Amino acid sequence: MNSEENPKGETPKSENPKGEEPEAVAPSAGRSEPDRGGPDRPDQPEQGQAEPDQPQAEQQTGRQRLVAVLWPPRVNRAQLIVAVLLFVLGLGLAIQVSSTSDNSALRGARQEDLVRILDELDNRTQRLADEKQRLETQRTELESSSDQAEEARKQTRQKEQQLGILAGTVAAQGPGITLTVEDPSGTVESDMLLDAIQELRAAGAEAIQVNDIRVVADTHFTGTGGEIEVDGKKITAPYRFKVIGRPQDLEPALNIPGGVVQTLEKEQATARVERSQKIVVDALRPAKRPDYARSSAQ
Amino acid sequence: MIAVLGLVVGVVVGLLVRPEVPAVVEPYLPIAVVAALDAVFGGLRAMLDGIFVDKVFVVSFLSNVVVAALIVFLGDKLGVGAQLSTGVVVVFGIRIFSNAAAIRRHVFRA
Repeated sequence: MNSEENPKGETPKSENPKGEEPEAVAPSAGRSEPDRGGPDRPDQPEQGQAEPDQPQAEQQTGRQRLVAVLWPPRVNRAQLIVAVLLFVLGLGLAIQVSSTSDNSALRGARQEDLVRILDELDNRTQRLADEKQRLETQRTELESSSDQAEEARKQTRQKEQQLGILAGTVAAQGPGITLTVEDPSGTVESDMLLDAIQELRAAGAEAIQVNDIRVVADTHFTGTGGEIEVDGKKITAPYRFKVIGRPQDLEPALNIPGGVVQTLEKEQATARVERSQKIVVDALRPAKRPDYARSSAQ
Repeated sequence: MIAVLGLVVGVVVGLLVRPEVPAVVEPYLPIAVVAALDAVFGGLRAMLDGIFVDKVFVVSFLSNVVVAALIVFLGDKLGVGAQLSTGVVVVFGIRIFSNAAAIRRHVFRA
């Protein structure tokens, strides 16, 4: 391209065989249309064809010019300017190509398609938002209800423990006393033991076991001296009562004048009361499902 | 030669750097590229014809780009941006084809 600054000077250097050829071209090209001669000549193929008298010289010249421009790399103003402009062109081309190759699914779609896709997306967004709303409501309900359920379960567990102690289905431990009744002469009657139980209950006993039998609400004592049965099971002396309750209440309740201890001693039995900070009542009885009674609370 | 190197370097840099095009410029970039391509083909043809002038090339390159972008901008303002873009591309395409035909005659003698 450097050869165009003065075509008269350059072309002869490029070993043009015909000396008059550049002069044939240059007057028409170099003077008559240099102002718009460069790239702004889109529709003038007639010029190339309008010179059929020298077709071969013209074409050879063009080819030789191309080779001359391409091969010996020369640095001059025209080359640099064109290089800069072509650099800008390449940059824009690459940017446009790379940005077009992004998200190419929607690019190139027709407007109606785009509108339809947009509508579908809007509908889908709406549906998803509705579903999100619904799920959030459900989650809130579940959270609160699971909190309630957890709380109810905790209370139920506590109640089960308390009732289990009363019903004798779970072991219990705590402060209390141990009452040991020796009966060497076999004179202790079942009603005496029942009196002892009543007295202990009146004094606030919370869990009682006699020998290995848990004393609960429906415990009964049968039999006479030396043949005492508790809930149908025979027990033998010495009768050991393990009682959980407040020791300061339980012991005086047994030792009051005319009370259990005195009554037993009157029958040649001996009764011994010991306080303890840790009484373990571990005799259990199975939970019994009532046949007829039903809770009226529900 | 240096001009060809400039084109290659421009493409490589554009592909490697991937600069973000400002949203204002974005609709005009493809039209500007097509206009610049037309200017380059015209310049190549003029070079083969032996009438290349670098000043003309620069001016036509820039004016092509500017006018093309201006037409698209005007079309956008008038609401016929898509149609005007198509028109500009068609015109430049025709010019590129005719220039390419002239170049082909020079290079291949056919």
